[in-house]
Amino acid sequence: MNLERYEFFDSNDYYDYEFYSEGPKGRIRKLVTFAKIPGTEPPIFNLAFGDRFADTGELDDMSITNNLDRDIVLSTVANTINTFCDHHGNHYIYVEGSTPSRTRLYQMGIAGLWEEICLDFEVYGLKDNGWHEFKPNRINYDAFLVKRK
Amino acid sequence: MSTTVKERNTMKGFGPGVVSSDVKSHANDPAVLRQVEKAMETLKRVGLPKQKNK
Repeated sequence: MNLERYEFFDSNDYYDYEFYSEGPKGRIRKLVTFAKIPGTEPPIFNLAFGDRFADTGELDDMSITNNLDRDIVLSTVANTINTFCDHHGNHYIYVEGSTPSRTRLYQMGIAGLWEEICLDFEVYGLKDNGWHEFKPNRINYDAFLVKRK
Repeated sequence: MSTTVKERNTMKGFGPGVVSSDVKSHANDPAVLRQVEKAMETLKRVGLPKQKNK
């Protein structure tokens, strides 16, 4: 994948990542966290993404930044998946927005970068209680499963 | 405090990040716990994708 992305920072165990979105709203600190979903073996990890609460430092998955850099942010998140897989293996990664509209935004982002993303990742969309190979712009999915090839 | 940035500081292509002790674990943040719980319920209900025949 050869997309524009931000530099990012990893935790020592490669479960947590941070980077800064840059745009008209300023520099916004973004967090990506991979957490094992209990009861899954081989493990499946949930990818949580959002802004950092300034006061608590916790992940805020409800914030709306509108910093006009969605594709750069998404390719940076994709890069964190790649780094996570380098250190923890090519496991399924579950991604769902905190709201249906945010899941839709993720879908638009994946679709927009699909020609690059499909080179490195298998992506499945959840619809009607089943997983389907991701098809850009055809169906509104409820969640995504991503696995590095 | 936010500042307006005229040019983005970006790079191209996959590459490693910078390991930093400033990056803390968020595994126990309320939003992460909520998402994991929801993901666990969904996966219990629908399972995994069918494997493709190679």
